[in-house]
Order: sequence, then C-alpha cells, then structure tokens
Amino acid sequence: MTLAPADSLTIVSLLPRLLDTNGDAANARVLAQRARWAGVDAVVVPVHTVTDLPDRADIVVIGSGTDADLVAARDSLLPLADTVSAWLAGGVPILAVGTGWELLGDGIDLAGSTVTGLGLVAGRASVLPTRATDDIVVTTDAGTTGGVRLIGFENHARGYTGVAQSLGRIQSGTGNGDGGEGVVAGSFIGTHLHGPVLARNPHLADRLLDAACAARGLVRVGSAHTASVDDIAKAARNQVAVRLGLSSE
Amino acid sequence: MPVRYAPAILLGRVARTLARLRKPGGGSAVPGLVVNTIAPGFLASTLNSFPQGLVIVTGSSGKSTTTKMLVAALRAHGASVFTNQSTANISQGLTSALLEHAGLSGRIAGDIAVLEMDEGHGALISGSLEPRVVVLTNVMVDQIDRFHDSDMVAAMLSKIARRATGTVVVNADDLHLARLGENIAPPVAVARYGVTAEVLDANPRGLGYTLTAPTRLAASDGMLLTGVDGRDATVSVDGATHAVRLPARGTHYAVDALTALAAARATLGRSFDVARAVTAISGIPPVFGRGEVVTVRGTTVEFVLVQNPASFQLNVDSLAPGTEQILVAVGSDVRDPSYLWPADTSGLGHVLIASGSKAHDIGLQLMYDGVTVDRIEPDLGRALDEFLALPEPATGVKTIIFSADSMRRTRAHLGLATNEADPS
Repeated sequence: MTLAPADSLTIVSLLPRLLDTNGDAANARVLAQRARWAGVDAVVVPVHTVTDLPDRADIVVIGSGTDADLVAARDSLLPLADTVSAWLAGGVPILAVGTGWELLGDGIDLAGSTVTGLGLVAGRASVLPTRATDDIVVTTDAGTTGGVRLIGFENHARGYTGVAQSLGRIQSGTGNGDGGEGVVAGSFIGTHLHGPVLARNPHLADRLLDAACAARGLVRVGSAHTASVDDIAKAARNQVAVRLGLSSE
Repeated sequence: MPVRYAPAILLGRVARTLARLRKPGGGSAVPGLVVNTIAPGFLASTLNSFPQGLVIVTGSSGKSTTTKMLVAALRAHGASVFTNQSTANISQGLTSALLEHAGLSGRIAGDIAVLEMDEGHGALISGSLEPRVVVLTNVMVDQIDRFHDSDMVAAMLSKIARRATGTVVVNADDLHLARLGENIAPPVAVARYGVTAEVLDANPRGLGYTLTAPTRLAASDGMLLTGVDGRDATVSVDGATHAVRLPARGTHYAVDALTALAAARATLGRSFDVARAVTAISGIPPVFGRGEVVTVRGTTVEFVLVQNPASFQLNVDSLAPGTEQILVAVGSDVRDPSYLWPADTSGLGHVLIASGSKAHDIGLQLMYDGVTVDRIEPDLGRALDEFLALPEPATGVKTIIFSADSMRRTRAHLGLATNEADPS
C-alpha cells in the first residue's frame, strides 16, 4: 500500500517489468513530470501484484511487451481485473499501449492459437497482413479528442477489430488496420503509438491530466518550462510530418 | 589448402582495388562478395586452417573489446594472431579481411585466428567452421532487433557454441549462457567467469543481461571479477588477486577484461601466464568509439558510443561523477524514438547540447528525465564546433555521447580516422 499526500496525483504503472519493451512505462513518468511542472504533486506507483495497489489511482498507464511474455502478462493481470474494472467504472483515465491494450480486450489471435484477454474493453487483436513498423500520423476526432494530430511510431504485427470509436483516423501508417487508430471508450484510451507517445504529443498527456485533476479538484498552472519542452515536442513532430510530405504545425 | 582458390583470390583483389579507386578507404565488403560468390568454400576453409585453431568471440555486447583484449593477451604469449580488426563481422566483410592477408594458396600466416562475430551472422556461417574455443559474452536484446527475442539470441549463440571442439567460455552471470554451459558435454570443456555479489550489488540496475543468474559463481568454479573502481579492476584467478587497468570506466569493461582472461586461458592451456595476460590487457588502448579518449583541437574529449538501450544505461551510470560538459548526439540510425526511451538518463544531470538529426527526440527524453538541457542543435557540425570551443571544464573532461551514425559524422567532421568496415 502506497499512501500519497492528499493533494497529489497517484499515477499507476501496470506491470512495468513485463510491459516496457518500448519504454511505455515512462508514460507514467511523463505524466508525473508534467503535473509537477504545473504545480501539482504526483507519485508514480509501479503495480506488479495486488499487494502493490495504492489506495487510489488518478491515472493508469499500461505498456507493450514481447509476444513471448503475452501469457505471463495476462496471468499477472488476472488478479488485478476487478480493480481495473472498478477504475473503468469510476472514470479513471487509462492509457493502454500495444499488448497492454490487447490484453485488456477480448482476446489476441496469434498464428494458430489465441490468448484470451480480460474482456474489460471491447474488441480483439488480430493478425495484420504485414507487420507495421513505421512512423504513424493520426488525426483525432474533433468531438472527443479535440481534433489534433498525433505523431508517433508503431511496431506491431496485429491490428484491432471491434472498435466502436477510434482515437482518430490514419493519415500515415497502419494503426488498427481499417483506417482508424486506437480506441476511446469512456475514460479508456488504447493506442499502437508506443514509446514516448505522451512526450511527443503533450496534448494527449494533458487530456489525461485534465480529467484526473478535474476529478480531484486540482488546478494545473502553465509554466515556461512546460512551454519550452512542448516546443521541442512540436519540432520533433514537425520533423516527421515534413519527411512524410505533410504540413508543419 | 588447395590451390583452387587462387583465381577467386585474384579476382577478389581486383575487386578490392576497384572498390578503393571508387571510394578511398571504403568498399571493404565488395571483394568478399566476389570471392564468396565464386568460391563459397574459401571462408571456412581458410579459417579452419590455422595450426592452433580458431577462436570465435560472440554475444550481444562487449565483443569488440573482449576480442582486442584476448588478441593482446595471446600476442603477449608470443602467438602470431590473425584477427578481424575492424567491425567487419559479417561474412563478406570477413572474407574481405581475410583477402588482405591470404596468399594465393588461401593460407594466412599465423598460429591462431581470433574472430569477433555478430550472433546472427555467426549462426549462419558457423555451420562450416570448426572453432577450438567459442567465447560467449552475454544475451541482451537490442531494441532495434526486437523481433529477435532473447530466446532466439540464446538459440543462435547455442548453435555457434555447439561447433566448439575444445572449450566454450561462458558468462556465469548471464542465465541464458549459464544454462547453455550446463548442456555442453565432454570432451568439450566449459570455462566459466563471473562477478562477485559485491560487484553486482554496486550496479543496482544489474549488468544489462536479459536474465541474470540468481547465484554468483564460486571462486573454485572459474575466474571472478572482485572489484571495480573507475578504470581499475581486480580479478581473482586460482585464488590469487590481480589488478587490471581498463580502457575505460565501467563494470562492463571490467567484465570484458575478465572474459578475455578466461578465453586466453582456454586458448593457451598450460602455457597461460596470468600475470603476462593481465599486463597485456591493461596495456591496450581504448577501444574505438567506446570510451575512447582523444585530443582534438587542443582539448581532451571522451567519446562514448551508445549501441543499444542497455549500453546507454551502463554508459550513463558509469560516467565520471561531476562531468560538467556533456554533448549527446543521436542520429538517423535511431529510426524509432522509443529505441533509447527505456533508459533512465537522469544521472547525466546537465547536458550542454543535444544534437544529431534526432536532437529533438533525445532532448525530450533528457528533459522528462529531469536533465537540464541548455540547447537543442540538430546541426552536429555546429554543435561540435561550439562544444569544443567552450573553456575547459573545471571537473571531468568534455564528453560526447553518441549513436553510431553520429559517431561517424563526428569523426568525419573532426577529421579523425575511421577504421570501420564500410558495408556499402
């Protein structure tokens, strides 16, 4: 049990040892840093077993792992299923990347076998015709996610079917495999954008932080440091956009 | 050795000459391609022909340093050694390197060959090789090759190890290799090396292996690394302690030195003299690009090459405390920005310039790790000029941490020699 100060955000990182192939666990660090720069205290709590669970979760992140660890990761998540379910019901923002997202869904189709997921999120992962390894550009839906452009990197062999509402439409890349990328379901966001997705796309990070701070009555304030870091992120995004022949921001 | 390779060797030499006319200093893989195409048996036949046999050094990390140290130790014992000096560790590059030295009979002068091999290519070409000694460094998963999981890397190393006719030298701290060693049966012997619990405890993030063995090697079961302090290390061999000077700071270099010692004993057998080997290893110059200390434009600069996330972490963790002038450059070889993202760079504290074509991405990582970054300058040439023109640091030396692409560009910009194999 980890007790955070009453006025601080608790950011849970699920299975950071098994699901950190691309450094996705650092999404928790990015959220905590942005909160701190905005004058809101934050603690990151790595959760591997139920005994690691904090008394409260304000934001939850889960990352991507290797296929060799799929079953082990699923089995480690099973005892946490009721807690994750309660977070979803309670509107706790959850960001799930790659296999972490797939494992919370209905199941994962592999060549010749299937790994049953936790069934907490609709849809399932199924094999793509070819592996997707490249930059990915997504325009998010104006109604739900503000209509911004996300630029990241994808590296996955499976798409995702059964998505009622995607995170956005593909401008470049593969994503779910049907022209859409990711999923938004209530407070849950699933995506194939791995690694520094929140550092590269701070508006997505702030979307999670806004929801968490609103629920807690905490107020973030702008800072020059955040602005300078976000300028670097913009330059990183524009570099990819220009290479792909897309417009700069 | 049959004379039947003479036409192929001559053609290979012509190709080499042409390649050099086109690109001075380069083109090293082309002649190899020519010879491998018209005389596919040349490589194995030549490598298997050394009177005292072939030694293969392979594994995920530490191959180049270990190979250099081993060669120095063997030469100190009077052996005439053929080795692949450059990073020409693919079959074409290796064949080209052999062509440099082969007579028209295909034979190469020398008692023994010591070759560094990439684990993937080693598994491909090792089916025809008969190494007397196979030296295994470690199993680390390079994020760039993440489709190759650690089990696949271990399987490739196992394939190479099974070709050994004399001894397999294994890192007992790497669980994959410890298990591999248990499956080696007589008459092939297993020589083990490892670090003590104290050395492991001094590296809270571990040594970078995919899986670390739960227990440490006993002194009676192999050579031990007993201490590391900056560029000084101590090893225990048959109950006696010896001091080793390292080519650069860091536990991984000390492990490389230990690996080379164990490999030298496996290779030399009864003629192995530990004091002679330790002296030779302590005397080798810093390995190219990895902790290399150079004098350029009148100032001392340390170059640190980042090859994968594990080495990035080890390099950050082993940087001299108080290093106040750091430039980090990441180039186009890092295609996916998540490649270095798993490393915790907070230990750098303060970076003067983030540079290279991926300057913004590495800058973002540093800033989220709480590192102060004074400047983002994607133009590496300009960044280097300004960094080198700064007044001398009060503590530490000017330190440049770079990816392989940025290393090449840095050396070219500063007019430093490059001895790398050119794959083009």
